[in-house]
Parts: sequence; structure tokens; C-alpha cells
Amino acid sequence: MSAAAVTVTDTPRERAGVGAVYRVEIAKIRAQLLPRVAAVICVVAPLGFVVFINTQSSVPADSLFGRWVQSSGFATPFIMLSFAGIAGFPLIASVVAGDIFASEDRLSTWKTVLTRSVSRGQVFVGKTLAAMTFSVAMVALLGFSSTIAGMLVVGRQPLVGLSGQLLSESQAIKLIVESYAIALVPTLAFTCLAILFSVTTKNSMAGVIGAPVVALLMVGLGLMGSGVVVRSMLLTSPFEAWHGLQITPSTSKALWIGVLVSFAYGTLSLVAAWRSFRRRDFAGDGQAPFRWSTVGRAVVATVVLAALLLVGTMLNKTWITSTHLEASVSQTLSNLIVVQQQILGRELDPADVKVYSYCKRESVISGVSSGPADDWTCQSFVDGPHVSRLAADYSISVRPDGCYTADAPASLVGPLHMKTPDGGTTINPLSAFDSCMIAP
Amino acid sequence: MTTDLALDVRDLQKRFGDVQAIDGLDLSIGVGEVHGLVGPNGAGKTTLFRILFGLVAPDEGVVKLFGGDIGDAGEASTDGVGGFVEEPRFYPYLTARRNLELMADLDGGGGDRIDEVLTTVRLDDRADRKVGGFSSGMRQRLGLSASLLRRPRLLLLDEPTVGLDPNGARDMLAIVRTLAAEGVTVVVSSHNMSELEGVCDGLTVMREGRVVWHGSIERLREESPAPAHRLETSDDGRAAELAKQDRRLEVVADPGGWLTVSADREALDAYVVAVGKAGIAVRRLELLMTALESMFFSLTGERAEQSAPDREPDEVSASR
Repeated sequence: MSAAAVTVTDTPRERAGVGAVYRVEIAKIRAQLLPRVAAVICVVAPLGFVVFINTQSSVPADSLFGRWVQSSGFATPFIMLSFAGIAGFPLIASVVAGDIFASEDRLSTWKTVLTRSVSRGQVFVGKTLAAMTFSVAMVALLGFSSTIAGMLVVGRQPLVGLSGQLLSESQAIKLIVESYAIALVPTLAFTCLAILFSVTTKNSMAGVIGAPVVALLMVGLGLMGSGVVVRSMLLTSPFEAWHGLQITPSTSKALWIGVLVSFAYGTLSLVAAWRSFRRRDFAGDGQAPFRWSTVGRAVVATVVLAALLLVGTMLNKTWITSTHLEASVSQTLSNLIVVQQQILGRELDPADVKVYSYCKRESVISGVSSGPADDWTCQSFVDGPHVSRLAADYSISVRPDGCYTADAPASLVGPLHMKTPDGGTTINPLSAFDSCMIAP
Repeated sequence: MTTDLALDVRDLQKRFGDVQAIDGLDLSIGVGEVHGLVGPNGAGKTTLFRILFGLVAPDEGVVKLFGGDIGDAGEASTDGVGGFVEEPRFYPYLTARRNLELMADLDGGGGDRIDEVLTTVRLDDRADRKVGGFSSGMRQRLGLSASLLRRPRLLLLDEPTVGLDPNGARDMLAIVRTLAAEGVTVVVSSHNMSELEGVCDGLTVMREGRVVWHGSIERLREESPAPAHRLETSDDGRAAELAKQDRRLEVVADPGGWLTVSADREALDAYVVAVGKAGIAVRRLELLMTALESMFFSLTGERAEQSAPDREPDEVSASR
């Protein structure tokens, strides 16, 4: 070291702020391996999925848009959206958010950061904004890469939407953008939750896996019951709000409930995280040790909370009733018949098509049929030009989120594939379809 | 606000659970002074540094830096205050230069001085290597360079020579002297009294969260007891008896099989000559504690350490 080279002058300096912390955090994120790997996965996974699925003879028909994955490239981003909503987006959010505070404990760098010209408040806000930026970037990247992958591998054919309406290329792209924008809302809430885990556990591993575990727990609760009140309180439910964009008539009710729920989770998480961070004494170095007693307390708390939610979910009356299903099936079939006739080269005014449906569960001998189940049947009667007096019996599997898959025997609605006027073949939209009901 | 005090601490209290880390500490350090802070482990030195940096909130007491309150823990570090506490840490996946760029960004400036400070601490040739490969000593030097980026008026250095080889430690202390010559107030903690002796104007000895001695180095020397030596002879019993004839000597038989002789240089010389004249062979004579270390021992009840063997030496293990 050369003592002679030291020059120290007392010069007033400009105070650093949130912007400086944000820039520093973004620079750190860009330099780390895990965020880079997450970005690569967001790019490669959709391409790998669509390439693989198009080499298969069957399609994942039990997933929304799964039956269209080989017929329209625009199905890919919606399938990825459905998959990512289970725990993918929470995991992506946690990669950075779950580590962004705990990593300073792991590397013992809190004393390095907090002895500069930034306050704890500025550090907290800067880090939170950086984590949110990463989450937004990853959701956008997944949406973009899955759309491009679908278009490149399958093509830009029109897609049949969740209400049986035919979506043109521009309509499909608009819906993709809107749907991913909707998914951002709960993703940001999970980002806040991951920040809470990161701040309070001071452990990178717990910070990163905490939010995805909560997401899986909520998905599990959502599968066990369909009570609308408790279901609305689950942070994973807003990931399904994009269904409402494709329902006829479209509804934004689930979206706004999702925004409120996400805002509540996000705000509470950030407030709790800030209170913990603000009051903390940075009295030692190193990451908080992994303690089984802490894990035990967390497990007990989680089990108690899950049990309460589960009881609430099951006690609460289901909104999935035969009335809702009949309305949804009739509306969807009406649209699908118009699509089918368009494929056959016939123009049909949707207003001229009348569909009446009668739905019930096979296991219900008497009384009102209700609830998610795979024993629903719907008898639908169609009246209209070219399809007069068509009757079809659909076997329907209804999931707790209100989405369902309907299949009809070929003897009634024709085979799975049908010939087009130009001699080609395409999927017969009436043979099987997916749709969703939206909670009232 | 004009003040002669760079640091003024009054009745500082800090408790961690059952441990009273700081217990009514009062400390004043003048502007431009180089002040040493010594004490055994658990004396409260590092906790004091953490409070001064705003990393830990005191339970009670007043802390003023250049006449201004440091405010609550969590506020930005006071302008003009730099340094590090315990071993400096950086982001291992970034280069030394990139780390300093980020630190400068968090300071709102100073990025134009990165080459200068890296040269100062002799890390300019490793500026573009990732910090993950740095040794403890290199991180120590990088910590100093990060502190200098802030153009400090008050430099707080917690054990700055730990992990450095003798040359590195000497250079580090030379920088401290240079900074002091430029008017920077330096507070430096250490286990090594003799190391601070040549650098500091004043010294504070801490024990169990309290100040047990505070004053100038000159005063410390005056008040220090005589240095202690280990003496092994052919007949320790007779040698001990001989020592009773000189009141300037204090000789204690050690259970380890030697004599501990506390005496100033003149008395010790006379005693050794007398032992030889008495036909007793002197087989071994070595310094156990300097005068300052003896003082440290008497104030804290513990022996000052000559080095910190628990940290790795300052060797280059960096890889590009």
C-alpha cells in the first residue's frame, strides 16, 4: 500500500437515494447465475414444450387449450400461463425476491451496504423495486417467448377461445398480452411475500422456497373445495382471472377481486417485512442458521392456517351449480356451432342459433346437482340454420376453478376431425371443448 | 456546527438479550486525533463501531459525530464517516473494481477515485479479479479503499491489520498516519497494544462494555507497570531469593518452572548481572509482556494478543 497516494478532502457530496440502490441491485441481479438461469428457462422452456408436444400423437387435452396445441401457435402461451400459475410464477418471483435480502446475510454484506450514504428505507424500497422489476421482466419474457415459440413451431392459425369464439391473430395476441398482464398482479404479490420470507428468515434457501410452497399449498386448497369466499382469498386464484377475458360476455369481476386480494397480500407482506428490517440490529455476520425449531413452528402455523382455510373452503356453499353450467355450456356451444359452420364455409348469425342445455350429476339421484366433479352430463338441444334439432350429450368434468372439459360421442356431433371445403382436415370444435364458468 | 470533538459518546447502553454489550460508555475523541480502542473479546469495541455506523440501535445514550446526533439506526451513514467493522465483505461474484463502483453509486459519487484508492491499497493489479478469490488480507485492503472513496473526515477501522502479513500491516498503519497528517480523525481498534502504540495519539481501554482507561499514549506509558520477563536459571530458588534484595524487582515463581520478573530495564540489567555473579547460570531470558501489554493485562485481566492466528494470512489466492 502506498501511503503517499492518499488524498482526502472534505467535499460535500450528493446524497444517494432509492435510484442508486435500484441501479446497484439491478447490476447485482444481472451478474448472478440464478437469475440468468431463470431467464434462460423462461426462453427455452416454452420452445422445448411446443417442439416436444408436436412430436407426440396425442395432446394434453386435460389442460386448457391443450387440445389446440398442435392446431394453433396461440395455444402455447395460454398453456404456459396455466402451468406457470400453479407455482411457476411464484417460483420465478422468489428467485430474486427470496434472496435479495437474505443474500446480504449470506455474504455478510449488510455492513458494506448500510455504511454508505443510503438509509434503510431507501435500501428496502430499492431492493423491492429491483425484485419487482425482475418478476415483471420474467413474466413478460415467458409470455413473449411462448408466443414466438408457438407461432414459429405451429403457426398463426386462429384459436378457439374459452367461450367457443374464434380468435383471430390480432385478437389472440391482444388476449395473450392482457392475460399475462393480469398474471403480473399476483406475481408481484408473491414477490412481496418472498421478500417477507427473505427478510424474516435471513436465509436464502427459506426465502426462495417459501413463496412457492405457499403457492402449492393454496393450489391444493383450491383443488379441495370450491367455496367462493375462501377461494377468492387464495393468492393463487388471481392467476385464473384471465379466464374472464374469454368468457362471453367477458367479465372483469374476478380480475378486480384478484387485484384487491393481491394488493392485500402484497401490502401486508411488505409492511411486515419493513417492520422487521427497520428494527433489526445488524450485530453479527453470516446467514441465519437453519433451525428445525423454526421449521417446526412454521409447519404448525401453516397446517393450522391450511386447516382453517380448508374447513372454510368446504363449508362455504359452492357456486358451481347446474344453472351456471347450463348457461355456460349453451353459450359455448352456440359459439362453437358458428365456428364449425365457418369452417364448413357457411356464414351463420350467432343470434340465429339457440342452444338449450340440461345438466346434472350422474351421482345425484334427487335434488340439485352442484360442485366440481367429473360425473356431470349435459344434454344440449340446438336449433338454428344448418343444425336444426341437433341434440348432443356431453360428459363434463368440472374443476374447482370453474373450468371444465366437455366430450361428446362421435355418433352425435361427428368425429374429432372434420374435412374442410378445401379438402383439408381440422378439429371438429363440437366433439370436445374446454370452457370456464366465472364465479358470480 | 463547529466542534473540537469528532466523536462524543455519553452514557451509551446496549444490551443483547442477557448480555450487556455496552454499559454506560463515555468517550470523547478530538478532531484530527488518531485514537486506539483496545480491549479483550467481548469488551464492546465492535458493538460501539456498529452503533457509530448505524447498524445497531443503542438502548440509551447520546452519540454525536462532529457535533451532530447520528440519529436513529437505519438512517444513512453520516457524511464524512467511513471505515469498516470486523472483516470487510463484498460481492464475491463481482470484481474489486465493480464492487467499488457500486459502493460509489451508493455514496452518490466517488467513482472517479476508484483507480486512486485501489492504487493506494495496492490492489490496482487485481482490480479486475472477482473478490470471491481474494484472501482475508486483500479484502481488508479493499475495505480500506471502499472507505477512502467516501473522503472520510472520521475513519473507523475495526481490527484493520487482522489477516494482513507484517508488510501489509505496516502499510495499513502507514496509511493511517498519512490520513491523520491530512487531518482525518481515525479511530482504530486492535487487540495489539504495541501495534497501536506507534500510531495513536490517544488510547481507550474497554472491558465489559465500559471504559477502564482513557488518555494519551504518553500518559499510558507513564502509568504502565514494568515490562515482564521470563527468566530460567540453573537455580530458580536462589535467584528468587536474590531478587528480594532489590525493591525495584518483582519476581514470581511460575508453576511452569520459571520466574516471571517485572522490572524496568535498568533494574533487570542489574539483577541479571547479580544472578551471574552469584554463580547462577541464566539459561533463558525473554520478554513476556511490554509495558503497555502489562498495562492492558492489569486493566482488563487478559493478555493482549500479538496476532490473530484465526484468520488466514495475506496471500494471493485470487484467480481471474
